[in-house]
Amino acid sequence: MAAGRFTLAVSPHLHQKGQTIERGMTDVLIALTPAGIVAMIVFGMNAFYVMLVSVLTACLTEVVMRWVLGRKHTLRDLSAVLTGVLFAFLLPATTPLWVVAVGAFLAVGVAKELFGGLGRNIFNPALFARVALMVSPLWLYITKFPRPFFYRTVGFFTPVSVAINNEVAGRVVYRGLFGSVYPDVVTAATPLSLLKSGKMLATTISGPTPVGSTWVTVAGRPTFWAQFLGVHSGSLGEVSVLALAIGACWLLYRRTIDWRIPAGIFGAFLLVTLVTWNYPVFSLLGGGLWLGAFFMATDWVTSPMTRRGKWIYGVGIGLTIALIRLWSPLPEGVAIAILQWNVLTLLIDRYVAEPRFGEVGRSWLNRLPPYPKPGKAEPDKPVPAN
Amino acid sequence: MSGRGYRTFRGGVHPPTHKELSSSKAVTQAPVPAEVVIPLNQHIGAPNVPLVSPGDRVDVGQKIGETEAFVSAPVHSSVAGTVRAVEDVRNFTGAIVRAVVITADAEQPAFAAARMKPVGELTADEIRRLAREGGLVGMGGAAFPTHVKLTPPRDKPVDTVLLNACECEPFLTCDHRLMLERPAHIVEGLKLLVRAVGAERGIIGIEANKMDAVDGLRAAVSSEPGLDVAVLDVKYPEGSEKQLISVVTGRKVPPGMLPGEVGCLVQNVGTSVALYEMASIGKPLYERVVTVTGPGLRSPGNFLAKIGTRISMLIEAAGGWAGEPARLIMGGPMTGWAQEEPVASVVKGTSGVLVLTPELVDARDEHACVRCGKCVEACPMFLMPNYIAEAAIREDWAKAEMYGALDCFECGCCSYTCPAYIPHVSYARKAKAQLAALKKR
Repeated sequence: MAAGRFTLAVSPHLHQKGQTIERGMTDVLIALTPAGIVAMIVFGMNAFYVMLVSVLTACLTEVVMRWVLGRKHTLRDLSAVLTGVLFAFLLPATTPLWVVAVGAFLAVGVAKELFGGLGRNIFNPALFARVALMVSPLWLYITKFPRPFFYRTVGFFTPVSVAINNEVAGRVVYRGLFGSVYPDVVTAATPLSLLKSGKMLATTISGPTPVGSTWVTVAGRPTFWAQFLGVHSGSLGEVSVLALAIGACWLLYRRTIDWRIPAGIFGAFLLVTLVTWNYPVFSLLGGGLWLGAFFMATDWVTSPMTRRGKWIYGVGIGLTIALIRLWSPLPEGVAIAILQWNVLTLLIDRYVAEPRFGEVGRSWLNRLPPYPKPGKAEPDKPVPAN
Repeated sequence: MSGRGYRTFRGGVHPPTHKELSSSKAVTQAPVPAEVVIPLNQHIGAPNVPLVSPGDRVDVGQKIGETEAFVSAPVHSSVAGTVRAVEDVRNFTGAIVRAVVITADAEQPAFAAARMKPVGELTADEIRRLAREGGLVGMGGAAFPTHVKLTPPRDKPVDTVLLNACECEPFLTCDHRLMLERPAHIVEGLKLLVRAVGAERGIIGIEANKMDAVDGLRAAVSSEPGLDVAVLDVKYPEGSEKQLISVVTGRKVPPGMLPGEVGCLVQNVGTSVALYEMASIGKPLYERVVTVTGPGLRSPGNFLAKIGTRISMLIEAAGGWAGEPARLIMGGPMTGWAQEEPVASVVKGTSGVLVLTPELVDARDEHACVRCGKCVEACPMFLMPNYIAEAAIREDWAKAEMYGALDCFECGCCSYTCPAYIPHVSYARKAKAQLAALKKR
């Protein structure tokens, strides 16, 4: 058999099996599954609807935006699905679904596609959307967290406005479109807002305790096991440390993420909280630290690529989270800390020099060699095509 | 995977080796072709001038091209026959080179061993002259003239000779077969190399997936003081010069420098055997072992092929095409050159002819970089391949150098592991060519 002409290509002629963008995204989705299941157990169908609407809106936004911008469709790389799930994980299960849709649109449409699509975005899309909603008039919808096992479903159009005045003993009344009043959502303070409000020392809290004392201490704050397994108030995906840790193991095993970033975050955070002795374990297990350290800060696009860069970025995020939690009016700072360091990522990659093989005494700063500016050089002879 | 947990370097990748296709096939003589095409330039350095003209009779091992320049290596006829032409041909990289085309006689005489000075009595200068006369070049692929490497500058003495027996490229088994079949010759060659540069020790660096060869080599060096075998992790590119030196000796060759800087000399096992053959029977480098393999061939094997043999002949020798051949490569799959048609001829640096099928090629469209950092993690030189590629796209050569383009030796780990299928190597090559041009002016 005479073979015809073969294709020409530059070496290497092999590619690592299964090393694709889809596979990376799939691995993160697999890793998020345990946390998603816990969310549906703890918060019921609300959690499922929030995730569903978030993913659908994210995908729809990607398709429409790329069509409008005249770009190739990339739904197959699953990054929109992942952004949808991650964004849902940052919301209270009782978020009105239209608010979820607005946020998912901001995540994919603005934070990703307007910046140039996957690979060009500066901010982690899900975190960007979450913080954008926080500073918008919709902030109230996403800062009231339901109690665990509060199962009453909130529909798509249900609440149009929230009257903060109606909050009595942890009850938020959602007002409907035409003055109708919808079922109450029983909210509870998150562990970190308890910490921030100084209620850690209180002996009792008012209001009903829906679950037994396994989950809530007499003082009304979640027990260690409640925090570890996820039976406390908080956003969808952040509550269960166990579920997130299982997912993190998968990501580290698959080498989808680099261990240096979470190591830097946890190391720096623990250092500060241990030195200041501000409920270190309670603070470590509460809030979005685990979700942030393993699933948000490690986002390929928005984290540095060199080893030095990863350490700087990780430690920086850990310190910033500790600073915000300890000395700012905000109870929680994971999202803001990561977004801050997202901005610095490009600078880190550009200026922080990594020593080359065999190089000693390289400075920490990358310097440009003194050559003419782009496009000025003409080669003496043409470069071979192959 | 077997062969892990030994000494190794930072970075690199673990491609499946596929060596089982040909590692058990003993080296056999490839049929002598009716016509050989011998490029005059098969090495890095000055081009040769032809010593023969059309119509001349040539003998096996007769010198047919030479130059006065120091950094160069002569070429020899691989057959007995008549020179048909001295013409321009396209070599395996696609470049146009001058070549001597020789029509081989139907009857090929065996090589007549010359009477040589006993190998043990050769001086350093004599060994260097033999290396030059024999047309010896690095047979791992780079084809740098051996006698040049054997002439270290006076202020940088070499104390360690490393014999590169890693063969870290997937699929290739030519060095493995040499080690199994001729361990004594390899060690004799190594002794010559050690003597030529006045080194204290010679170490054979070999990957742990060739333990059968390790046994033979260990037996061969056991009675030789100063010689040793170092077993290394199975990882690509373990056999890269700088990586090998760092793994075996712990010394790091600084960027832009040669191994001599840290007192080392690296040679391939094939070169070692060729040096021994030249020194013992005066046989110049006119044939070499080539692994002809891949799932696109019916019966892969290792062949002793005359320099100048067209690869179509080797493909026939390996049983012809099988399945659905998708890519034809000269060299290994990580650094080899893709061929459009099987017309190029075997040169001194040709270690393999490889035919891949579609499921192995896995070619896809390039996606925008997703900044995952896997190329940075895989780069054995600790560069930033994706930034080099980006700088090359924007023709910002200063930035390409800042991110390390000049240190790139094109191993291909970056592209191998890239989820976005970015061909970093081709961008780095472009940047290197442009930077070389910039430095000249």
